[in-house]
Amino acid sequence: MKRLLLILMPLMLLACSHEETELPLYQRYAPRQDLTVAQVKGFQLGDTLKTDVVLLVADDSAAWAELKAEFDIRTSEGVTSWMGDIDEPARRVKRAVRPAWRAMAVHADRTVAFYRVDTEAQRQALMDYQMKTIENKQ
Amino acid sequence: MDEKHFEELWEQEERQGLQRRLQQEYPAWQQRRRVRRTALASVAMVLVAGITLSTFHFPLSTRNYDSVACNRNGIAEGHWAAEASRILTIETL
Repeated sequence: MKRLLLILMPLMLLACSHEETELPLYQRYAPRQDLTVAQVKGFQLGDTLKTDVVLLVADDSAAWAELKAEFDIRTSEGVTSWMGDIDEPARRVKRAVRPAWRAMAVHADRTVAFYRVDTEAQRQALMDYQMKTIENKQ
Repeated sequence: MDEKHFEELWEQEERQGLQRRLQQEYPAWQQRRRVRRTALASVAMVLVAGITLSTFHFPLSTRNYDSVACNRNGIAEGHWAAEASRILTIETL
C-alpha cells in the first residue's frame, strides 16, 4: 500500500502542475514596454469548445497609433475586425482560411484582441458566444 | 514428492502457521492492521479521484478559461477572460 502511495503522489503532483505554455503571438509582444499583453488559454466558447485569446492593450495614444499602423487599422472609432494570418496577424486572409486569428480592434479601449480559429466549429462557437452573451444582457 | 518440493511446502506451512498463530494470539493487532489498511485505501482512492479530475480537467470552479499569462504583474487573471468575453460582445453591438 505504501508503495502504491509512493507511485500515486508524484502522479498527483504531475497532474496538478499545469504547464504554462506561451503562444508565439504573446511571446512576440510581451517584451514591449508600451503594451500590456495577455493571453487566455482555453477560453470557453461553449460546453465543449475552447480557444486561445491574445490581447494587446496600448498604454497610451502613441502606442495605440503605433499598434494601429502595425496592424494596418485605418479606422479611428468603433470596432475594426478582420481574419488574420496565424503567423502574421496583420496580414488579412480569407474567412475560410484555417488556422487563423479573428482579430478585433476596439478603439475606445486601445485594445486588439485575437481569437484563434482552427475549425469551423470554433468560428461558429465564437458567433454563438456573441449571440448568447447579448441575449443574456437583454 | 522430491526434496525440493518438500522444502517449499515446509516453508509455506511455516509462514502460514505463523500467521495463524499471530491472528489467534494478537487479535487486537490484527484489527489495527485492518483499520490502517482501510485508511490507506481511502487515501489512495482520494488521490486517484484527484488525479482523474486534474487530468480530465473537470470544472472544479466556474472559471471559463484554463490559464492566463500577462506581461504585467498585479492584474487579476479573471480580468483578461472578462475582457475576451466583453470584446466579443462589443463587436456585434
